Amino acid sequence: MRIYKNIIIKSILLIGTLCSFSSIGQAYERIVILYAPVSEIVKQLVGEKVVVGVTRTDLVFKKVYKVGSHLRPNLELIKAIRPDLIIAGSKRAYPEKMESRFSADFFRYDPTSIEDIFKQIRQLGDLLQVQPKSEQIITQLKNKLKQVQPLPDQPKVVYEISERPLRVAGKPSIMTAIIEYAGGLNMIDTNKKHVVISTEIVVDINPDFYIYQDGPMNKNPRPPIERSYFKPLRSKIILVDQYLFSRPGLNVIDAIVKLNQIFKEQL
Amino acid sequence: MTKNITIFVLLIVFIAVFILAVFWGAVNMDFTQLSDTDLDILTYSRLPRVLLAGLVGASLSLSGVLFQYVMKNPLADSFTTGASASSAMGAVLAILFGLGFLIPVFALIGGVIGLTIVYKVSSVNGKVQPITMLLAGIVVSTFASSVISLMKYIADDSVASIIFWLMGGFQDASMQQVGVLTTVLIIAWLAIRKNYLSLDIICFDDSTAMASGVDVHPLRKKIFFIAALLTAICVGYAGIIGFVGLIIPHMVRLFKFVIASELVPISMLFGAIFMILNDLLARVILTDGQELSVGILTSAIGGAFFLYLLMKRKKELYYFD
Repeated sequence: MRIYKNIIIKSILLIGTLCSFSSIGQAYERIVILYAPVSEIVKQLVGEKVVVGVTRTDLVFKKVYKVGSHLRPNLELIKAIRPDLIIAGSKRAYPEKMESRFSADFFRYDPTSIEDIFKQIRQLGDLLQVQPKSEQIITQLKNKLKQVQPLPDQPKVVYEISERPLRVAGKPSIMTAIIEYAGGLNMIDTNKKHVVISTEIVVDINPDFYIYQDGPMNKNPRPPIERSYFKPLRSKIILVDQYLFSRPGLNVIDAIVKLNQIFKEQL
Repeated sequence: MTKNITIFVLLIVFIAVFILAVFWGAVNMDFTQLSDTDLDILTYSRLPRVLLAGLVGASLSLSGVLFQYVMKNPLADSFTTGASASSAMGAVLAILFGLGFLIPVFALIGGVIGLTIVYKVSSVNGKVQPITMLLAGIVVSTFASSVISLMKYIADDSVASIIFWLMGGFQDASMQQVGVLTTVLIIAWLAIRKNYLSLDIICFDDSTAMASGVDVHPLRKKIFFIAALLTAICVGYAGIIGFVGLIIPHMVRLFKFVIASELVPISMLFGAIFMILNDLLARVILTDGQELSVGILTSAIGGAFFLYLLMKRKKELYYFD
Protein backbone atom coordinates (compact mmCIF):
# COMPACT_ATOMS: atom_id res chain seq x y z
CA MET A 1 0.00 0.00 0.00
CA ARG A 2 2.84 2.30 1.02
CA ILE A 3 4.59 1.77 -2.33
CA TYR A 4 1.41 2.64 -4.27
CA LYS A 5 0.93 5.72 -2.08
CA ASN A 6 4.47 6.90 -2.89
CA ILE A 7 3.97 6.28 -6.59
CA ILE A 8 0.74 8.27 -6.58
CA ILE A 9 2.32 11.20 -4.69
CA LYS A 10 5.37 11.24 -6.96
CA SER A 11 3.15 11.03 -10.03
CA ILE A 12 1.10 13.98 -8.83
CA LEU A 13 4.30 15.96 -8.19
CA LEU A 14 5.67 15.05 -11.61
CA ILE A 15 2.46 16.02 -13.37
CA GLY A 16 2.43 19.26 -11.39
CA THR A 17 5.98 20.02 -12.43
CA LEU A 18 5.27 19.20 -16.05
CA CYS A 19 2.15 21.35 -15.95
CA SER A 20 4.10 24.26 -14.54
CA PHE A 21 6.65 23.92 -17.36
CA SER A 22 3.95 23.71 -19.97
CA SER A 23 2.30 26.82 -18.53
CA ILE A 24 5.60 28.70 -19.01
CA GLY A 25 5.92 27.10 -22.40
CA GLN A 26 9.46 28.10 -23.36
CA ALA A 27 12.95 26.70 -23.54
CA TYR A 28 14.55 28.44 -20.57
CA GLU A 29 13.90 28.20 -16.86
CA ARG A 30 16.57 30.42 -15.33
CA ILE A 31 17.09 33.69 -17.16
CA VAL A 32 19.47 36.42 -16.01
CA ILE A 33 18.90 39.88 -17.50
CA LEU A 34 21.89 42.24 -17.43
CA TYR A 35 20.30 45.06 -19.38
CA ALA A 36 17.20 46.61 -17.81
CA PRO A 37 15.53 47.92 -21.01
CA VAL A 38 14.87 44.33 -22.15
CA SER A 39 13.16 43.32 -18.89
CA GLU A 40 9.69 44.57 -19.81
CA ILE A 41 9.89 42.67 -23.10
CA VAL A 42 10.90 39.43 -21.34
CA LYS A 43 8.13 39.94 -18.77
CA GLN A 44 5.52 40.32 -21.48
CA LEU A 45 6.89 37.32 -23.37
CA VAL A 46 7.26 34.77 -20.56
CA GLY A 47 6.09 36.35 -17.33
CA GLU A 48 8.10 36.67 -14.14
CA LYS A 49 8.70 33.10 -13.00
CA VAL A 50 11.69 32.21 -15.16
CA VAL A 51 13.72 35.32 -14.48
CA VAL A 52 16.14 34.63 -11.62
CA GLY A 53 18.55 37.56 -11.73
CA VAL A 54 18.61 41.19 -12.83
CA THR A 55 20.78 44.28 -12.37
CA ARG A 56 20.19 46.60 -9.47
CA THR A 57 18.60 49.35 -11.57
CA ASP A 58 15.98 46.97 -12.94
CA LEU A 59 12.54 48.19 -11.86
CA VAL A 60 10.55 45.42 -13.60
CA PHE A 61 11.69 42.38 -11.62
CA LYS A 62 11.94 43.59 -8.06
CA LYS A 63 11.90 40.32 -6.14
CA VAL A 64 14.71 38.41 -7.86
CA TYR A 65 18.46 38.31 -7.20
CA LYS A 66 20.37 41.47 -7.93
CA VAL A 67 23.61 40.63 -9.71
CA GLY A 68 25.42 43.98 -9.74
CA SER A 69 25.03 46.73 -12.30
CA HIS A 70 24.83 46.56 -16.09
CA LEU A 71 28.33 47.99 -16.34
CA ARG A 72 29.79 45.76 -13.64
CA PRO A 73 27.81 42.55 -13.26
CA ASN A 74 28.94 40.27 -10.44
CA LEU A 75 30.09 37.11 -12.21
CA GLU A 76 30.20 35.08 -9.00
CA LEU A 77 26.57 35.89 -8.20
CA ILE A 78 25.51 35.08 -11.74
CA LYS A 79 27.29 31.73 -11.56
CA ALA A 80 25.67 30.99 -8.20
CA ILE A 81 22.15 31.29 -9.57
CA ARG A 82 22.94 28.90 -12.45
CA PRO A 83 21.34 30.68 -15.38
CA ASP A 84 20.53 28.81 -18.57
CA LEU A 85 20.12 32.04 -20.53
CA ILE A 86 21.88 35.39 -20.08
CA ILE A 87 20.53 38.47 -21.81
CA ALA A 88 23.04 41.34 -21.93
CA GLY A 89 23.34 44.76 -23.56
CA SER A 90 26.12 46.32 -25.62
CA LYS A 91 29.54 44.74 -26.12
CA ARG A 92 31.01 47.67 -24.19
CA ALA A 93 29.04 46.76 -21.07
CA TYR A 94 29.37 43.01 -21.50
CA PRO A 95 32.30 41.98 -23.73
CA GLU A 96 32.11 38.86 -25.87
CA LYS A 97 34.85 37.11 -23.90
CA MET A 98 32.55 37.10 -20.85
CA GLU A 99 30.12 34.83 -22.69
CA SER A 100 32.52 31.91 -22.54
CA ARG A 101 32.63 32.08 -18.74
CA PHE A 102 29.16 30.59 -18.45
CA SER A 103 27.66 27.45 -19.83
CA ALA A 104 24.40 29.33 -20.34
CA ASP A 105 23.07 30.41 -23.71
CA PHE A 106 23.55 34.04 -24.52
CA PHE A 107 21.45 36.73 -26.16
CA ARG A 108 22.64 40.27 -26.87
CA TYR A 109 19.99 43.00 -26.88
CA ASP A 110 21.46 46.22 -28.26
CA PRO A 111 19.05 47.88 -30.70
CA THR A 112 19.81 51.29 -32.21
CA SER A 113 16.63 51.66 -34.26
CA ILE A 114 12.92 50.87 -33.99
CA GLU A 115 13.31 48.14 -36.62
CA ASP A 116 16.08 46.66 -34.47
CA ILE A 117 13.71 46.58 -31.49
CA PHE A 118 11.07 44.72 -33.48
CA LYS A 119 13.72 42.37 -34.89
CA GLN A 120 15.14 41.61 -31.48
CA ILE A 121 11.71 41.07 -29.92
CA ARG A 122 11.07 38.53 -32.69
CA GLN A 123 14.47 36.88 -32.06
CA LEU A 124 13.71 36.70 -28.34
CA GLY A 125 10.31 35.20 -29.12
CA ASP A 126 12.01 32.51 -31.22
CA LEU A 127 14.63 31.86 -28.56
CA LEU A 128 12.08 31.59 -25.76
CA GLN A 129 9.70 29.64 -28.00
CA VAL A 130 6.85 32.10 -27.61
CA GLN A 131 6.63 33.30 -31.22
CA PRO A 132 2.89 34.12 -31.18
CA LYS A 133 3.40 36.29 -28.12
CA SER A 134 6.30 38.19 -29.68
CA GLU A 135 4.30 38.79 -32.87
CA GLN A 136 1.41 40.04 -30.73
CA ILE A 137 3.69 42.53 -28.93
CA ILE A 138 5.13 43.76 -32.24
CA THR A 139 1.63 44.23 -33.65
CA GLN A 140 0.59 46.18 -30.55
CA LEU A 141 3.64 48.42 -30.84
CA LYS A 142 3.06 49.01 -34.54
CA ASN A 143 -0.56 49.89 -33.84
CA LYS A 144 0.54 52.35 -31.21
CA LEU A 145 2.93 53.90 -33.73
CA LYS A 146 -0.07 54.69 -35.92
CA GLN A 147 -0.90 57.47 -33.42
CA VAL A 148 2.06 59.42 -34.82
CA GLN A 149 0.73 62.27 -36.92
CA PRO A 150 2.44 63.94 -39.86
CA LEU A 151 3.99 67.34 -39.17
CA PRO A 152 3.78 70.43 -41.39
CA ASP A 153 7.60 70.73 -41.34
CA GLN A 154 10.42 68.50 -40.22
CA PRO A 155 11.79 70.17 -37.06
CA LYS A 156 15.56 70.34 -36.48
CA VAL A 157 16.43 68.70 -33.17
CA VAL A 158 19.43 68.33 -30.85
CA TYR A 159 19.20 65.82 -27.98
CA GLU A 160 21.39 66.41 -24.92
CA ILE A 161 22.64 63.30 -23.13
CA SER A 162 24.60 65.14 -20.47
CA GLU A 163 25.34 68.73 -19.58
CA ARG A 164 28.87 68.24 -18.21
CA PRO A 165 30.49 67.75 -20.60
CA LEU A 166 27.99 68.66 -23.28
CA ARG A 167 27.27 65.30 -24.91
CA VAL A 168 24.54 64.91 -27.48
CA ALA A 169 22.96 61.97 -29.26
CA GLY A 170 24.75 60.98 -32.46
CA LYS A 171 23.39 59.17 -35.47
CA PRO A 172 23.44 55.49 -34.40
CA SER A 173 21.40 55.97 -31.23
CA ILE A 174 17.92 55.12 -30.08
CA MET A 175 17.30 58.83 -29.45
CA THR A 176 17.84 59.56 -33.15
CA ALA A 177 15.39 56.79 -33.98
CA ILE A 178 12.81 58.31 -31.61
CA ILE A 179 13.31 61.81 -33.05
CA GLU A 180 13.00 60.61 -36.63
CA TYR A 181 9.93 58.45 -36.01
CA ALA A 182 8.34 61.43 -34.25
CA GLY A 183 8.87 63.48 -37.41
CA GLY A 184 12.02 65.39 -36.49
CA LEU A 185 15.60 65.41 -37.72
CA ASN A 186 18.57 64.93 -35.43
CA MET A 187 21.03 67.59 -36.58
CA ILE A 188 24.04 65.75 -35.18
CA ASP A 189 25.21 63.55 -38.00
CA THR A 190 28.28 62.06 -36.30
CA ASN A 191 28.57 58.29 -36.45
CA LYS A 192 28.79 57.79 -32.68
CA LYS A 193 26.11 57.05 -30.08
CA HIS A 194 27.19 59.92 -27.83
CA VAL A 195 29.15 62.91 -29.09
CA VAL A 196 31.07 65.42 -26.93
CA ILE A 197 30.27 68.52 -28.92
CA SER A 198 31.23 72.16 -29.10
CA THR A 199 28.67 74.54 -27.65
CA GLU A 200 29.34 76.74 -30.68
CA ILE A 201 28.04 74.08 -33.04
CA VAL A 202 24.73 73.81 -31.19
CA VAL A 203 24.24 77.59 -31.25
CA ASP A 204 25.17 77.63 -34.94
CA ILE A 205 22.74 74.82 -35.77
CA ASN A 206 20.03 76.74 -33.90
CA PRO A 207 17.68 73.72 -33.70
CA ASP A 208 13.91 74.17 -33.56
CA PHE A 209 13.86 71.90 -30.52
CA TYR A 210 16.56 71.37 -27.92
CA ILE A 211 15.73 68.26 -25.91
CA TYR A 212 17.58 67.61 -22.67
CA GLN A 213 17.08 64.64 -20.40
CA ASP A 214 16.89 64.26 -16.65
CA GLY A 215 18.10 61.00 -15.15
CA PRO A 216 21.19 59.18 -13.89
CA MET A 217 23.25 60.26 -16.93
CA ASN A 218 22.29 63.90 -16.48
CA LYS A 219 21.43 64.53 -12.86
CA ASN A 220 19.52 67.76 -12.19
CA PRO A 221 20.64 69.48 -15.39
CA ARG A 222 20.42 73.25 -15.58
CA PRO A 223 17.84 74.46 -18.08
CA PRO A 224 19.86 75.35 -21.21
CA ILE A 225 18.76 78.96 -21.08
CA GLU A 226 20.44 79.35 -17.67
CA ARG A 227 23.80 78.29 -19.11
CA SER A 228 25.97 81.15 -20.25
CA TYR A 229 26.98 79.55 -23.57
CA PHE A 230 23.34 78.88 -24.53
CA LYS A 231 22.05 82.41 -23.86
CA PRO A 232 21.66 83.02 -27.62
CA LEU A 233 19.79 79.73 -28.18
CA ARG A 234 16.31 80.45 -29.60
CA SER A 235 15.14 76.83 -29.66
CA LYS A 236 12.06 75.46 -27.95
CA ILE A 237 13.34 73.60 -24.92
CA ILE A 238 11.95 70.20 -23.94
CA LEU A 239 12.86 68.35 -20.73
CA VAL A 240 12.35 64.58 -20.96
CA ASP A 241 12.76 61.57 -18.68
CA GLN A 242 15.92 59.60 -19.44
CA TYR A 243 14.18 56.32 -18.61
CA LEU A 244 11.53 56.98 -21.24
CA PHE A 245 13.79 58.29 -24.01
CA SER A 246 17.20 56.69 -23.59
CA ARG A 247 16.30 53.10 -22.80
CA PRO A 248 15.67 51.06 -25.94
CA GLY A 249 12.76 49.02 -24.60
CA LEU A 250 9.01 49.00 -25.11
CA ASN A 251 8.92 52.55 -23.69
CA VAL A 252 10.46 53.85 -26.91
CA ILE A 253 7.13 53.74 -28.73
CA ASP A 254 5.50 55.84 -25.97
CA ALA A 255 8.43 58.27 -26.28
CA ILE A 256 7.85 58.57 -30.04
CA VAL A 257 4.14 59.26 -29.61
CA LYS A 258 4.81 61.78 -26.84
CA LEU A 259 7.50 63.61 -28.81
CA ASN A 260 5.33 63.70 -31.91
CA GLN A 261 2.55 65.32 -29.86
CA ILE A 262 4.98 67.92 -28.52
CA PHE A 263 6.24 68.69 -32.03
CA LYS A 264 2.67 68.98 -33.30
CA GLU A 265 1.61 71.31 -30.48
CA GLN A 266 4.62 73.57 -30.62
CA LEU A 267 5.31 73.85 -34.33
CA MET B 1 67.59 87.36 -23.26
CA THR B 2 66.71 89.73 -20.46
CA LYS B 3 63.54 89.47 -18.47
CA ASN B 4 61.94 92.53 -20.04
CA ILE B 5 62.63 91.45 -23.61
CA THR B 6 61.35 87.95 -22.87
CA ILE B 7 58.17 89.31 -21.34
CA PHE B 8 57.73 91.62 -24.33
CA VAL B 9 58.22 88.72 -26.79
CA LEU B 10 55.86 86.51 -24.78
CA LEU B 11 53.27 89.28 -24.70
CA ILE B 12 53.37 89.50 -28.50
CA VAL B 13 53.08 85.70 -28.75
CA PHE B 14 50.23 85.81 -26.25
CA ILE B 15 48.35 88.39 -28.32
CA ALA B 16 48.96 86.38 -31.51
CA VAL B 17 47.77 83.13 -29.89
CA PHE B 18 44.78 84.90 -28.35
CA ILE B 19 43.73 86.31 -31.73
CA LEU B 20 44.26 82.91 -33.38
CA ALA B 21 42.14 81.21 -30.70
CA VAL B 22 39.34 83.76 -31.11
CA PHE B 23 39.40 83.56 -34.91
CA TRP B 24 39.59 79.75 -35.15
CA GLY B 25 36.98 77.38 -33.76
CA ALA B 26 34.37 74.74 -34.46
CA VAL B 27 32.27 77.27 -36.39
CA ASN B 28 33.93 79.12 -39.26
CA MET B 29 33.18 82.84 -39.28
CA ASP B 30 33.66 85.59 -41.81
CA PHE B 31 35.13 88.30 -39.59
CA THR B 32 34.58 90.97 -42.22
CA GLN B 33 30.86 90.30 -42.09
CA LEU B 34 29.81 88.81 -38.78
CA SER B 35 26.23 87.55 -38.54
CA ASP B 36 24.16 87.82 -35.36
CA THR B 37 24.81 84.14 -34.66
CA ASP B 38 28.56 84.64 -35.10
CA LEU B 39 28.47 87.55 -32.66
CA ASP B 40 26.51 85.44 -30.16
CA ILE B 41 28.99 82.59 -30.46
CA LEU B 42 31.91 84.98 -29.95
CA THR B 43 30.33 86.73 -27.00
CA TYR B 44 28.89 83.80 -25.11
CA SER B 45 31.10 80.85 -26.06
CA ARG B 46 34.45 81.54 -27.66
CA LEU B 47 35.69 84.67 -25.95
CA PRO B 48 34.91 83.56 -22.36
CA ARG B 49 36.48 80.22 -23.17
CA VAL B 50 39.73 81.62 -24.53
CA LEU B 51 39.96 84.07 -21.63
CA LEU B 52 39.28 81.37 -19.03
CA ALA B 53 41.84 79.04 -20.64
CA GLY B 54 44.47 81.77 -20.44
CA LEU B 55 43.61 82.58 -16.84
CA VAL B 56 43.63 78.94 -15.74
CA GLY B 57 46.97 78.41 -17.49
CA ALA B 58 48.45 81.42 -15.71
CA SER B 59 46.93 80.43 -12.35
CA LEU B 60 48.09 76.81 -12.48
CA SER B 61 51.58 77.90 -13.51
CA LEU B 62 51.70 80.40 -10.66
CA SER B 63 50.45 77.82 -8.18
CA GLY B 64 53.08 75.35 -9.45
CA VAL B 65 55.87 77.88 -8.93
CA LEU B 66 54.58 78.67 -5.44
CA PHE B 67 54.21 75.01 -4.42
CA GLN B 68 57.79 74.37 -5.59
CA TYR B 69 58.98 77.28 -3.44
CA VAL B 70 57.01 76.34 -0.35
CA MET B 71 58.09 72.70 -0.46
CA LYS B 72 61.61 73.33 -1.73
CA ASN B 73 61.03 70.49 -4.15
CA PRO B 74 61.06 70.47 -7.95
CA LEU B 75 58.36 67.79 -8.07
CA ALA B 76 55.86 69.82 -6.09
CA ASP B 77 52.70 70.94 -7.86
CA SER B 78 48.99 70.87 -7.25
CA PHE B 79 48.98 67.06 -7.60
CA THR B 80 51.77 66.25 -5.17
CA THR B 81 50.33 68.65 -2.60
CA GLY B 82 46.90 67.02 -2.74
CA ALA B 83 45.25 70.28 -3.82
CA SER B 84 44.03 69.00 -7.19
CA ALA B 85 42.78 65.64 -5.99
CA SER B 86 40.97 67.00 -2.91
CA SER B 87 39.32 69.76 -4.98
CA ALA B 88 38.35 67.17 -7.59
CA MET B 89 36.92 64.97 -4.84
CA GLY B 90 34.62 67.81 -3.81
CA ALA B 91 33.61 68.45 -7.42
CA VAL B 92 32.90 64.78 -8.13
CA LEU B 93 30.71 64.65 -5.01
CA ALA B 94 28.71 67.53 -6.48
CA ILE B 95 28.30 65.64 -9.78
CA LEU B 96 27.34 62.43 -7.99
CA PHE B 97 24.63 64.16 -5.96
CA GLY B 98 23.32 65.98 -9.01
CA LEU B 99 24.54 69.38 -7.80
CA GLY B 100 26.46 70.28 -10.94
CA PHE B 101 25.81 74.00 -10.51
CA LEU B 102 27.71 73.86 -7.20
CA ILE B 103 30.87 72.23 -8.60
CA PRO B 104 33.13 75.28 -7.98
CA VAL B 105 31.87 75.60 -4.38
CA PHE B 106 32.36 71.90 -3.68
CA ALA B 107 35.80 72.00 -5.32
CA LEU B 108 36.79 74.91 -3.13
CA ILE B 109 35.52 73.19 0.02
CA GLY B 110 37.27 69.93 -0.96
CA GLY B 111 40.49 71.81 -1.64
CA VAL B 112 40.35 73.69 1.66
CA ILE B 113 39.68 70.48 3.63
CA GLY B 114 42.51 68.61 1.88
CA LEU B 115 45.00 71.40 2.37
CA THR B 116 44.00 71.97 5.98
CA ILE B 117 44.85 68.32 6.63
CA VAL B 118 48.17 68.66 4.79
CA TYR B 119 48.96 71.84 6.68
CA LYS B 120 48.02 70.42 10.10
CA VAL B 121 49.99 67.25 9.55
CA SER B 122 53.08 69.05 8.32
CA SER B 123 53.29 71.89 10.81
CA VAL B 124 55.06 71.60 14.14
CA ASN B 125 54.55 74.50 16.55
CA GLY B 126 53.27 76.59 13.66
CA LYS B 127 56.35 75.83 11.53
CA VAL B 128 55.76 74.11 8.23
CA GLN B 129 58.06 71.20 7.43
CA PRO B 130 58.44 71.06 3.63
CA ILE B 131 59.27 67.35 3.30
CA THR B 132 56.47 66.31 5.68
CA MET B 133 54.15 68.57 3.73
CA LEU B 134 55.06 66.83 0.49
CA LEU B 135 54.50 63.40 2.03
CA ALA B 136 51.20 64.48 3.58
CA GLY B 137 50.19 65.93 0.21
CA ILE B 138 50.86 62.64 -1.54
CA VAL B 139 48.84 60.78 1.10
CA VAL B 140 45.89 63.20 0.82
CA SER B 141 46.11 63.00 -2.97
CA THR B 142 46.07 59.20 -2.90
CA PHE B 143 43.17 59.15 -0.44
CA ALA B 144 41.16 61.66 -2.48
CA SER B 145 41.87 59.67 -5.65
CA SER B 146 40.57 56.50 -4.01
CA VAL B 147 37.40 58.33 -2.91
CA ILE B 148 36.97 59.54 -6.50
CA SER B 149 37.38 55.96 -7.72
CA LEU B 150 34.76 54.81 -5.23
CA MET B 151 32.36 57.50 -6.42
CA LYS B 152 32.98 56.48 -10.03
CA TYR B 153 32.17 52.91 -9.02
CA ILE B 154 28.93 53.97 -7.33
CA ALA B 155 27.96 56.41 -10.07
CA ASP B 156 27.21 53.83 -12.79
CA ASP B 157 25.22 55.80 -15.36
CA SER B 158 26.82 59.16 -14.49
CA VAL B 159 30.35 57.70 -14.52
CA ALA B 160 30.94 59.07 -18.02
CA SER B 161 30.18 62.60 -16.84
CA ILE B 162 32.63 62.21 -13.95
CA ILE B 163 35.38 60.78 -16.15
CA PHE B 164 34.98 63.48 -18.80
CA TRP B 165 34.86 66.20 -16.17
CA LEU B 166 38.03 64.90 -14.53
CA MET B 167 39.87 65.13 -17.86
CA GLY B 168 39.41 68.90 -17.76
CA GLY B 169 37.97 71.40 -20.19
CA PHE B 170 36.58 74.89 -20.69
CA GLN B 171 33.22 74.10 -22.28
CA ASP B 172 31.28 75.70 -19.43
CA ALA B 173 33.27 78.96 -19.42
CA SER B 174 31.41 82.17 -18.63
CA MET B 175 32.35 85.82 -18.22
CA GLN B 176 31.39 85.51 -14.55
CA GLN B 177 34.08 82.85 -14.06
CA VAL B 178 36.53 85.01 -16.01
CA GLY B 179 35.75 87.91 -13.66
CA VAL B 180 36.24 85.86 -10.49
CA LEU B 181 39.48 84.23 -11.61
CA THR B 182 40.90 87.52 -12.92
CA THR B 183 40.26 89.15 -9.54
CA VAL B 184 41.77 86.26 -7.59
CA LEU B 185 44.79 86.01 -9.89
CA ILE B 186 45.54 89.73 -9.71
CA ILE B 187 45.24 89.74 -5.92
CA ALA B 188 47.44 86.62 -5.69
CA TRP B 189 50.07 88.09 -8.00
CA LEU B 190 50.13 91.40 -6.13
CA ALA B 191 50.46 89.55 -2.83
CA ILE B 192 53.37 87.50 -4.17
CA ARG B 193 55.05 90.34 -6.04
CA LYS B 194 56.36 92.07 -2.93
CA ASN B 195 57.87 88.78 -1.70
CA TYR B 196 60.01 87.93 -4.74
CA LEU B 197 63.30 88.30 -2.90
CA SER B 198 62.02 86.40 0.14
CA LEU B 199 60.91 83.54 -2.15
CA ASP B 200 64.44 83.25 -3.51
CA ILE B 201 65.90 83.35 -0.01
CA ILE B 202 63.69 80.54 1.36
CA CYS B 203 65.29 78.23 -1.21
CA PHE B 204 68.22 78.16 1.19
CA ASP B 205 67.91 76.43 4.55
CA ASP B 206 65.57 77.99 7.10
CA SER B 207 68.33 79.28 9.38
CA THR B 208 70.02 81.17 6.55
CA ALA B 209 66.69 82.54 5.38
CA MET B 210 65.76 83.70 8.88
CA ALA B 211 69.21 85.21 9.39
CA SER B 212 68.59 87.16 6.18
CA GLY B 213 65.50 88.67 7.77
CA VAL B 214 62.84 86.54 6.12
CA ASP B 215 59.89 85.49 8.25
CA VAL B 216 60.01 81.98 6.80
CA HIS B 217 57.00 80.24 8.34
CA PRO B 218 54.35 82.96 7.89
CA LEU B 219 55.61 83.36 4.30
CA ARG B 220 55.26 79.63 3.64
CA LYS B 221 51.73 79.68 5.08
CA LYS B 222 50.80 82.63 2.90
CA ILE B 223 52.11 81.24 -0.38
CA PHE B 224 50.71 77.80 0.41
CA PHE B 225 47.25 79.33 0.93
CA ILE B 226 47.46 81.40 -2.27
CA ALA B 227 48.62 78.43 -4.38
CA ALA B 228 45.89 76.22 -2.92
CA LEU B 229 43.18 78.80 -3.51
CA LEU B 230 44.24 79.24 -7.15
CA THR B 231 44.28 75.47 -7.69
CA ALA B 232 40.86 74.93 -6.09
CA ILE B 233 39.24 77.63 -8.23
CA CYS B 234 40.86 76.29 -11.40
CA VAL B 235 39.72 72.73 -10.66
CA GLY B 236 36.22 73.99 -9.90
CA TYR B 237 36.00 75.81 -13.22
CA ALA B 238 37.90 73.49 -15.54
CA GLY B 239 38.41 70.09 -13.91
CA ILE B 240 41.80 68.51 -13.45
CA ILE B 241 44.29 69.79 -15.98
CA GLY B 242 47.46 67.91 -15.35
CA PHE B 243 51.10 68.77 -15.69
CA VAL B 244 50.80 72.53 -16.30
CA GLY B 245 51.83 73.58 -12.79
CA LEU B 246 54.76 71.17 -12.87
CA ILE B 247 56.25 71.64 -16.31
CA ILE B 248 55.73 75.32 -17.09
CA PRO B 249 57.99 76.59 -14.27
CA HIS B 250 60.62 74.02 -15.23
CA MET B 251 60.48 75.01 -18.88
CA VAL B 252 60.99 78.63 -17.86
CA ARG B 253 63.93 77.61 -15.65
CA LEU B 254 65.50 75.77 -18.57
CA PHE B 255 65.70 79.13 -20.29
CA LYS B 256 67.67 80.39 -17.28
CA PHE B 257 64.94 82.42 -15.60
CA VAL B 258 65.41 81.12 -12.09
CA ILE B 259 64.84 84.00 -9.70
CA ALA B 260 61.28 84.71 -8.55
CA SER B 261 61.02 88.15 -10.14
CA GLU B 262 61.60 86.46 -13.54
CA LEU B 263 60.16 83.03 -12.92
CA VAL B 264 56.74 84.16 -11.66
CA PRO B 265 55.66 86.58 -14.41
CA ILE B 266 57.24 84.58 -17.25
CA SER B 267 55.68 81.32 -15.99
CA MET B 268 52.25 82.96 -15.79
CA LEU B 269 52.50 84.34 -19.31
CA PHE B 270 53.93 81.12 -20.74
CA GLY B 271 51.26 79.08 -18.90
CA ALA B 272 48.50 81.24 -20.37
CA ILE B 273 49.87 80.81 -23.91
CA PHE B 274 50.33 77.07 -23.43
CA MET B 275 46.79 76.59 -22.15
CA ILE B 276 45.10 78.71 -24.84
CA LEU B 277 46.94 76.73 -27.52
CA ASN B 278 45.96 73.41 -25.94
CA ASP B 279 42.32 74.46 -25.69
CA LEU B 280 42.38 75.62 -29.29
CA LEU B 281 43.69 72.22 -30.35
CA ALA B 282 41.06 70.47 -28.21
CA ARG B 283 38.36 72.47 -30.01
CA VAL B 284 39.50 71.94 -33.59
CA ILE B 285 41.46 68.70 -33.73
CA LEU B 286 38.37 66.50 -34.24
CA THR B 287 35.80 66.74 -37.03
CA ASP B 288 32.10 67.63 -36.89
CA GLY B 289 32.44 69.95 -33.89
CA GLN B 290 33.52 67.16 -31.56
CA GLU B 291 35.76 68.14 -28.67
CA LEU B 292 38.69 66.54 -26.94
CA SER B 293 39.39 67.00 -23.23
CA VAL B 294 42.09 69.62 -22.65
CA GLY B 295 43.76 67.57 -19.90
CA ILE B 296 44.66 64.86 -22.42
CA LEU B 297 46.50 67.37 -24.58
CA THR B 298 48.28 69.26 -21.79
CA SER B 299 49.73 66.02 -20.45
CA ALA B 300 50.65 64.62 -23.87
CA ILE B 301 52.04 67.76 -25.52
CA GLY B 302 53.50 69.25 -22.35
CA GLY B 303 55.08 65.95 -21.35
CA ALA B 304 56.63 65.35 -24.77
CA PHE B 305 57.93 68.89 -25.06
CA PHE B 306 59.34 68.83 -21.55
CA LEU B 307 61.08 65.52 -22.21
CA TYR B 308 62.61 66.96 -25.36
CA LEU B 309 63.88 69.99 -23.45
CA LEU B 310 65.27 67.78 -20.70
CA MET B 311 67.18 65.66 -23.20
CA LYS B 312 68.51 68.62 -25.12
CA ARG B 313 69.37 70.83 -22.21
CA LYS B 314 69.76 68.58 -19.17
CA LYS B 315 73.16 70.01 -18.29
CA GLU B 316 71.62 73.44 -17.92
CA LEU B 317 69.02 72.32 -15.39
CA TYR B 318 71.37 72.97 -12.53
CA TYR B 319 69.09 74.95 -10.29
CA PHE B 320 68.03 72.13 -7.99
CA ASP B 321 71.35 70.21 -8.12
